Amino acid sequence: MKPAPFAYERPRDLDAALSLLAASRGSTKIIAGGQSLGPMLNLRLVQPELIVDISGLAELKLAQVSGNELVLGALVTHADIEDGRTADVTRGAMRNVAANIAYRAVRNRGTIGGSLSHADPAADWVSALAALGARVKLRTLAGARTLAVEAFVVGALEPALHVGEIVEAIHVPTRTASSHWGYAKSCRKTGEFARAIGAVLVDPADASARVVIGAIDTAPIVVTDARELFGGQIAADYKQRFDVRVADALLAKAGIDDAAQRHIHVSVLKRAVLEAAA
Amino acid sequence: MNTIALQINRRAVEASAEPRTSLADFVRDRLDLTGTHLGCEHGVCGACTVLLDGVPARSCITYAAACQGADVTTIEGLDDDEVTTELRAAFTREHALQCGYCTPGMLVSARDLVLRLPDADEQRIRVGLSGNLCRCTGYVGIVRAVQSVIEARRARNIAPLADGGRTILGPAGSGRAAPGGSEPRPARTVSAPAPDSVARGIIPDFTPATVLDQSFTLAHPLAKVFAMFDDIAGVASCLPGVSLTGIPSSERVEGEFRVRLGPISAAFQGAARVERDPATLSGRILGIGTDQRSHSATQGEIRYRLLPLEGGAATVVELSIGYTLTGLLAQVGRPGLVRDLAKRLVAEFAANLDRHMSGASSGRAAPAELSFRSVASDVLRARLARMFSRVTGKSGAE
Repeated sequence: MKPAPFAYERPRDLDAALSLLAASRGSTKIIAGGQSLGPMLNLRLVQPELIVDISGLAELKLAQVSGNELVLGALVTHADIEDGRTADVTRGAMRNVAANIAYRAVRNRGTIGGSLSHADPAADWVSALAALGARVKLRTLAGARTLAVEAFVVGALEPALHVGEIVEAIHVPTRTASSHWGYAKSCRKTGEFARAIGAVLVDPADASARVVIGAIDTAPIVVTDARELFGGQIAADYKQRFDVRVADALLAKAGIDDAAQRHIHVSVLKRAVLEAAA
Repeated sequence: MNTIALQINRRAVEASAEPRTSLADFVRDRLDLTGTHLGCEHGVCGACTVLLDGVPARSCITYAAACQGADVTTIEGLDDDEVTTELRAAFTREHALQCGYCTPGMLVSARDLVLRLPDADEQRIRVGLSGNLCRCTGYVGIVRAVQSVIEARRARNIAPLADGGRTILGPAGSGRAAPGGSEPRPARTVSAPAPDSVARGIIPDFTPATVLDQSFTLAHPLAKVFAMFDDIAGVASCLPGVSLTGIPSSERVEGEFRVRLGPISAAFQGAARVERDPATLSGRILGIGTDQRSHSATQGEIRYRLLPLEGGAATVVELSIGYTLTGLLAQVGRPGLVRDLAKRLVAEFAANLDRHMSGASSGRAAPAELSFRSVASDVLRARLARMFSRVTGKSGAE
């Protein structure tokens, strides 16, 4: 349970990190808090030739509200969010998600950018940030681009990162005062990988809803216009209108053949809807 | 080897370690601080929990090199700590340990809860300790011990510290290291001798651990489809990630199967044998392969059966793909991700067969489409056949 040998670099700044990535022949991995990559290295599932440790880069540890959104550097940890060391524009939604990721010892090192980059379908941020309408800012030596979180996670463990590109920041839009948030997950054991995640952001005032069904075996199901799940319209009575058959059909379409699995996902999503409406 | 300088238990320490050395191995093997225990070594059991810049962290998945300049406190450094002293007395009183293996990590996590939790709520304590596994006590005594210390301290008007006293952003232990790195390592050369059974020309039967069924229709007559399945090189060219080495015979082919799931990749080398039964218009391709780098092995089989449709003008292909994975890649507890990859590979195989039969080049779908599948670039280059099943198995997990 020891990693295969690797070379190790601690670049002085983001550009130096990007240069190392660009110069590598592909067998290079970025490490931040290491809470996802560390286990894979120890199990020798991943055997990179070079590890580039970005955990010290101050430019990735910023958190600031800019206009109508919160910009979180990739190295902000789950505990930073849980404890309120970063501003919160989601009216507590992100703090609650953060507080229930794995265990405190993991949250003290695990980062939001690392979690997204790892793109594990069972990870909380993959689903929660998609529901919140967040975007990911990616950087290479050549420049930057921004993707919606749901476009960034393209499959299990498969982020939309190009060679030489890393997650620089996460942009979280301010949650409107009229919106309702619900987040639920089912884990076989507290802190373990979720087997189902449901996230809903409903705003009856402007009749909109985003719904995410996560922790399936591939990228989460993200419904940016979720009226269909609520009988065709979003109104104050959306809790009563939530249609489990539509959710079940979405899961079947996504390839979840096992009815029991679909039932777990639908039940967890329903819990999230009830929480939002509570 | 790197020289790592950091503060351990309030003492400046300098010692050398490889980049891959965990903080746990560093304190145990280089500094003889063996109170930090290693259980699972992948961040699950909590036995290795230490304080890093004053807050709990897993020392088994934190590399010593990443802790340059950090402030580490192991269980040995908590002898005179006020909270830990109270916890030790409470653990003794409540019979909160038996074998003691989890206790160092348990005390570090318990100390953190005592500092942070507002009150001695049993549910919150249990959730807070869920990252520390104990196989002796059933947790009852541990929870009681933690409750009693929290109650006593709150009764003495010692307020909780919800953030554990941390004020800066970023991973605990990071931020005080100067830039630097290790000597580059020479590129690893991996020799890949064929597995014994393959070398001996034996491809054994097996019972697949996972079986995926898929059926699809090809707009070609039965006889033409059956003939196509006899063209090993052609079938192989439709298998994502497969490339043949040497010249396939009608009974035996050798080659390589590459597969990738996120950062996990493997290249299984091996051989396959081919069986077919014209009487039932069915057949089987059975293969075995090993990935030297991960010391993993896979066996796989593709069973097919052809059925006429529309009076023989079209053909239904019933595929049953089974695989078994053993070795390092098999130990990861995320079979769902592997199954999902296998499903996508099977779907791609079916689509490729269809294209191949229709006379299109046996190339894959457009790169843009592939790029959002897990199969990606390795697959694009790949051509030939080999055990499809091994393809599926290889992705490992998590």
